[in-house]
Amino acid sequence: MIVFALLVSIVLAGLARRTAAERIRYALWTLMMFLLIGVGIAWLMYPFSQ
Amino acid sequence: MASEAPLTENSRKVHPARPLFIAFAAWIVPGLGHLLLRRWGRALIFFVAAGGLAVVGYGMRGEVFTPLSSDPFGALGFLADVCSGVFYFLPRFLEASGPDISRATGDYGTRFIAAAGIVNLLGVLDAYAIASRRRS
Repeated sequence: MIVFALLVSIVLAGLARRTAAERIRYALWTLMMFLLIGVGIAWLMYPFSQ
Repeated sequence: MASEAPLTENSRKVHPARPLFIAFAAWIVPGLGHLLLRRWGRALIFFVAAGGLAVVGYGMRGEVFTPLSSDPFGALGFLADVCSGVFYFLPRFLEASGPDISRATGDYGTRFIAAAGIVNLLGVLDAYAIASRRRS
């Protein structure tokens, strides 16, 4: 999940921002959101897996 | 009296075939379209991202869909996979033992391979838009 989120974040940052500094900030932000939302959804689904 | 607008790069005429050629190049090799447009950063980003997703997907023994799929999901999977250009033909070399979707990693690998195609499709559309001066 981390590899997937990292590579997709890099692409989104490359498309959405122009400068290197903006791209790095945007990539880190989207990576963090991917991971937080992914883990959050996993926790929400956990009760239904029992 | 209004002054004449200076001739900028955006006002130059674009040959109608050029954006299509750039899009085709971007599809065949991820990042090549941007490389031809001298967008070095984006070229590297698309090559590394699409290539990385595809290679990791093949390493996880994900399934690659063929054009002769009988169900609609297989046809959509083929469309997503084939968008990764040259990486679509890599499983012959990287997946010598074939896909294995009986394990969870194989199923994740299938998604990685499809995502590589979708990422490259974004690159193709971006390169086309830049070549036709609709995007900077």
